[in-house]
Amino acid sequence: MHVDLSNVSKVYPDPPEVVTALSNISFQVNEGEFLCIVGPSGCGKSTLLRMIAGLDQPTSGEIRFKGDLVTAPHEKISMVFQSFALLPWRTVLGNVEFGLEVQGCPKDERVSTSLDLLEMVGLKGSENLFPRQLSGGMKQRVGIARALAIDPEVVLMDEAFSAIDEFTAEALRAEVAEIHAQTQKTFLLVTHNLPEAIELADRILVLSARPGKVKSIVPVEIKKPRKPTTDDFVSIHRDIFALLQSELENTIMRRRLSELKELQGLRDIEAR
Amino acid sequence: MGLSLLGTRTFHRVREKTHRRFIPPAWAVSLLVIFASWESFSVLRLVSPERLPPFHEVLFTLAQLGATPLFLARVGQSFLNVVIGISLAMVVVMPLALLVGSRNQLDQALTPIIMLVGALPDLAILSLLVTVVGRGNVVAIAICTFSAFFPIYFTIRQGVKEIPTDYFHVSSIFKANGAQTFTKVVLPSIFPNMVTGLRLSFEFSWNVLMAVEIIASVAGVGTFISSSLEGPGRSLAYGLAAIMTVGLLTIAADRLFFERLESRIRKWRA
Repeated sequence: MHVDLSNVSKVYPDPPEVVTALSNISFQVNEGEFLCIVGPSGCGKSTLLRMIAGLDQPTSGEIRFKGDLVTAPHEKISMVFQSFALLPWRTVLGNVEFGLEVQGCPKDERVSTSLDLLEMVGLKGSENLFPRQLSGGMKQRVGIARALAIDPEVVLMDEAFSAIDEFTAEALRAEVAEIHAQTQKTFLLVTHNLPEAIELADRILVLSARPGKVKSIVPVEIKKPRKPTTDDFVSIHRDIFALLQSELENTIMRRRLSELKELQGLRDIEAR
Repeated sequence: MGLSLLGTRTFHRVREKTHRRFIPPAWAVSLLVIFASWESFSVLRLVSPERLPPFHEVLFTLAQLGATPLFLARVGQSFLNVVIGISLAMVVVMPLALLVGSRNQLDQALTPIIMLVGALPDLAILSLLVTVVGRGNVVAIAICTFSAFFPIYFTIRQGVKEIPTDYFHVSSIFKANGAQTFTKVVLPSIFPNMVTGLRLSFEFSWNVLMAVEIIASVAGVGTFISSSLEGPGRSLAYGLAAIMTVGLLTIAADRLFFERLESRIRKWRA
């Protein structure tokens, strides 16, 4: 197994209340697979990704990458951020180089690698621009090139297309699918955009509302490129949407219930 | 996307062209107006020359002073005291502000006290310093350090607090070590704040240094100004020329040093 999670839980013991963000998450990711993680907001899907990245530690359970326990960022696991997280004082090239630079790669080697990647993401000729001169879509292209520069085996994407306008995001998704097909790297994408997940994923992991649990793992066996209008696409969308909706209803019911209880409590006080 | 790129380039080219035609900066025009009215006030005898020497006389004195080694040495000494004072403050404050900016508990423990000390008037501290340290350059440097401390402290502390968490995530994802994170993420992030802090402390230090020199009679521009304005042989023109030297020095430092740093920041900052 490439990435292996067993019984991973994350509990925030911050007073006044203990919050269980994730509870007993177990799943495996195969090498070269594109796995999307979807779930209602606040279900801890970004936390999950951060833990796989080694940026955060699970409260209990184990995360393994190629058999080794992940306790800190691994040199073969890279990440793309929702906020792009480009260093604004570095040029496009300087940002892409960052990983290789801190790992001590010689200058000309890292420049040529970075330029190749920039060409791959369609930013040839923009290497000397600063991030402020780029559109959101271009920024994320730089983010993707930066993530690929260290030649990772796993690319983690945290809501990578959420801060970009839909038209650009659509084009970028197609390019990411292309990059995945070419490089055969393992991709993990956290998203709340269901069509996005269906478009890209080999399998979709559906998380339940807080505390996040694995609700279902849905394989997507539609030939790429996938069009959201085909019957297969629509039917998978309907199935997962139903799953998520029942989750949503559960949350709403739970909230209503707690509101009712509170109301009852108030009435009791009034009655006294 | 290629289109918007092309767009920015043409935009830059247009700007370059307009720059080539010489337009006097607005501040030069206003300065000219001020000096011209000053000169006409004196020439038309609206103000007696004892109260306001004509501008050309001050300008002449300024040129004279510029060729006087003793005066230049005084200016140099004052400048050196300011620079040493700020550098000392920087060395002390930088690590402190970095620590405080990154640890909330330490911030809550220290910053109120530092604010309290900062609220103490510089000149009151000065009298205290004179009794403890005595007179001389040491007290001048000490008071410059004191007044440079607060602007540097608060700007750097703020800068550290404002570093987005994702920058640190980037740094750990790519396995940068502590030193690399510091030089490649923290320092460039706080650089704009550092420049602002230095700029403010430069102003503050000069102001307070002039007072120090006069009160604690430390040789420098301040003493030169006060001695030329007092006593039987007093000359308003000399005093004004010396004051203008300080102004010119501040502007020169601003243009040659701080402005250059800021233009480097403007290249990448939105």
